[in-house]
Amino acid sequence: MKSGGIGLFSLGLDPLFLARAVYGAVGPRPLAAASEHPILVCLFQRGAVDGLSMVVPHGDATYYRERPRIAVPRSEVIDLDGHFGLHPRLAPLKPLWDAGALAVVHAVGSPDSTRSHFDAQDYMETGTPGVKATADGWANRYCTSAREHDATPFRAVAFGPQLPRLLAGSAPSLAIDDLQAFGLQVRQPAARDKLTAAFEALYEGAATGLLAPSAAEGFAAIEMLKRTDPARYAPADGAEYPAGRLGRSLLQVAQIIKAGVGLEIAFADVTGWDTHVNQGGSQGSLAARLDELGRALAAFNRDLGERMRNVVVLTMSEFGRTVRENGNAGTDHGHATAMLVLGGPVRGGKVLGRWPGLDPAARFEGRDLAVTTDFRDLFGELLVRHLGAPDLRPVFPGREADPARFPGVLGA
Amino acid sequence: MRATMVGRAVSTGAAAILAVALRCVAPAPLGAQGGAARDSAVQALNRLAWGPRPGEADRVAAAGVMVWIEHQLSPERIPDDALRARERAFTILRLDVDDLARRFVAARRDQQARRRDDTTATEAPPGRGTEAAALRRLGAETQQLAVVRAVLSERQLYEVLVDFWTNHFNVFYAKGADRYLLPAHIEETIRPNALGRFEDLLIATARSPAMLFYLDNAQSVASGARPPIPPRAVRGLTAEQRDMVAQRMPRGLNENYARELLELHTLGVDGGYTQDDIVNVARILTGWGIERPGQGAAFAFREWAHDRGEKVVLGERFPPGQGMDEGIRLLRMLARHPATMHHLSRKLCARLVADEPPDGCVDAAVAAWRASDGDVRAVVRAIVRTPDFWAPAARRAKVKSPLEFVVSAVRATGAVPDSSLRLARLVGRLGQPLYLQSAPTGWPEAQADWVNAGALLARMNAAVALAAGRLPGAAADLEAVLPNAVDHARFVDLVNERLLAGSMTDRTRAVILDQLRDVTDPAQARALAVGLAIGGPEFQRQ
Repeated sequence: MKSGGIGLFSLGLDPLFLARAVYGAVGPRPLAAASEHPILVCLFQRGAVDGLSMVVPHGDATYYRERPRIAVPRSEVIDLDGHFGLHPRLAPLKPLWDAGALAVVHAVGSPDSTRSHFDAQDYMETGTPGVKATADGWANRYCTSAREHDATPFRAVAFGPQLPRLLAGSAPSLAIDDLQAFGLQVRQPAARDKLTAAFEALYEGAATGLLAPSAAEGFAAIEMLKRTDPARYAPADGAEYPAGRLGRSLLQVAQIIKAGVGLEIAFADVTGWDTHVNQGGSQGSLAARLDELGRALAAFNRDLGERMRNVVVLTMSEFGRTVRENGNAGTDHGHATAMLVLGGPVRGGKVLGRWPGLDPAARFEGRDLAVTTDFRDLFGELLVRHLGAPDLRPVFPGREADPARFPGVLGA
Repeated sequence: MRATMVGRAVSTGAAAILAVALRCVAPAPLGAQGGAARDSAVQALNRLAWGPRPGEADRVAAAGVMVWIEHQLSPERIPDDALRARERAFTILRLDVDDLARRFVAARRDQQARRRDDTTATEAPPGRGTEAAALRRLGAETQQLAVVRAVLSERQLYEVLVDFWTNHFNVFYAKGADRYLLPAHIEETIRPNALGRFEDLLIATARSPAMLFYLDNAQSVASGARPPIPPRAVRGLTAEQRDMVAQRMPRGLNENYARELLELHTLGVDGGYTQDDIVNVARILTGWGIERPGQGAAFAFREWAHDRGEKVVLGERFPPGQGMDEGIRLLRMLARHPATMHHLSRKLCARLVADEPPDGCVDAAVAAWRASDGDVRAVVRAIVRTPDFWAPAARRAKVKSPLEFVVSAVRATGAVPDSSLRLARLVGRLGQPLYLQSAPTGWPEAQADWVNAGALLARMNAAVALAAGRLPGAAADLEAVLPNAVDHARFVDLVNERLLAGSMTDRTRAVILDQLRDVTDPAQARALAVGLAIGGPEFQRQ
């Protein structure tokens, strides 16, 4: 392996380049069965969402005992199954639950005990908890290992200025901050086209390395986007995305899905969950964030309509928060949290995962909700049963893929 | 793997180094032909500096590239007045860690108050948010300072190595207390040691509060050790509250720093250590902590937290009861370990020569490391004296990082960073927000990590903006660098020579000429040609 790499290097080529060239060599082409591609949309709730107030264990008296000031009152919780209920501001998601298109996995998280945001986010994105040296993300490794997919620059797209760790790696992936501004920023369309053509010609001539194939991916993306005319997009069925970054991101995801350009994995960040101070109960700062989340997801579902039959949205967050409220009427960094899975393929209407309870003896290190579902088993289930991943070993090295451990969001 | 390394190292003695040096100083760089000397100057300015400024390649070639390199290896003898004058505009350099810690606490309170305002839906009182904004501005200043130093400093090789070591001993600015600890990490830990002995640098980073916090060593205590809780801290508290205070105190070993010290900072991932070694390194370093903010937030050794038992690391026995001294002994041992020499030599060669550096330069660096006891100056000198550094295969073999791209573009066009903080923001938009790499690995070095479609488009946009005089944060007088020429062909020749150091391909030349065909306004032609040259493939390489 090593000597092979060196041999190729002397020719100005490296193995990674060869892998990339396979993708980059293929230009834009219409994707025949575009609407049939399964799609996974990942939303990262950065800052560690309080799973216990997002999906409230209202049947557990300990929840109310530990949170005298910030518990969501039982009378206001939207009951799901007699024990758990949605935060009232997630009401827009209740119809999805009733239709069986929303599942909750509770007490999910990382086997690593870190309570550092940045370590835990890294672990969740690299898919290798406890191993810091992993440079690439699990979604990128999935793209590398499962190549049975149309060559398209839009296979894996993050909506934001930077490529998140989750999508970083050798398979091509795009970071798009603003779909309308993707490309060369020249106001006059004719001048823009001329300059774009010039740069395209320049990079076609770059003989070695990744420059030529990467630029080709970019220009192919620009060309495909032009045909979809993102400036004129109107959400279907009167769907109204909430103002703010999340709504804008999901609207752009919907655009890209409807454009039929071969999207398989979309990613967006949702920030503002680090509620150390004045978290609030049914009202307050957490409620405001959940309100935006609920409305954005409902709008996305409505906008996509029929197309949701093959789309799954997954929320994730690096860890949960303390069972007991702190001195500032907030919560500190904890361990397990809850994740939402919604979409057509979901066998929903259920809160999945083993519930460890809130009894102090059952808590992780005596204070936090214990993890009973390893996040890799949830992500793995979606990759295998939704996207059709042939092999999880390269995606989650060190975690043996065992369908028996899948939480069952897509049925058995 | 280790066995072969040791074997190789044993065979190379001081005599061999001398032989290598004598064999290699003479060839390419000192060639009599002007073209070859200029090419060598360009190679040196691309790798040992942040890219050539207008006319600089000719000046270095005329003075002799090896002379220039020797000069650069003694930065303390290079006057740097323009940069010094510029640095005076940076508030961050006048604030000490206590000032910064106070501002950090104020900013936090400010933010919390703002959240309360939001939730109670009252009008925010005037001034709310200003502390947080001030802290953000100081953060942006820290980032901008790195860009300004790279652009303006005459001590170019020194600034390259500062960047290298800052990245090697990466600290994540946005992790809690590192918001106030990081500036001192740069100014007092990295910069004074960037061209010195690796051992001194390693010990300095191990004592750096920013590092101790970033990799959690400040929280690592001997298992079973309990901190003395000052009575005033628990006075008047209930038993339950006392319990909570005790629970918040750090407990037990934290292996985070120990692991990265071996894997990233010294031996390397294949350095031959075991999990037991990691645990023992962590035990040795228990007690290496930080004073409270407000009391200087300086390094402090905490006797109560230190594990006084016996430890064994890589077969070396550390007898019980040695306190902080055993940590120093451990760091010295790691700094001199053959695996460290090899790991660091290879990493330096990956930065200075090629992503996958040839064995020749790595071996020369290892030999110099051994002979000089880890003198970074001697190691760099050895690398530039190998044929590998000057070989055609090494020329333009590396893709610029976003920071290298921005700094080299600003330098190539003779632009001057303005007083805004926007150049650093541009580097961030291109994918490398400075000091904000959360992983302890630092930013990657290989082209695969920097080249992607969105990133290239962003570079093209930045190039077009720079050429049109619209680059945020830097003003360029392009006409001074590229005066009008009699025709487009001559003008493109000039662009090739001044901006691309003669590397323009026929294809690029043809594309640019084609674009200029109908352009009659010389300013417009200049902007177009410069935008395409800097945004094009040749300028992405160095």
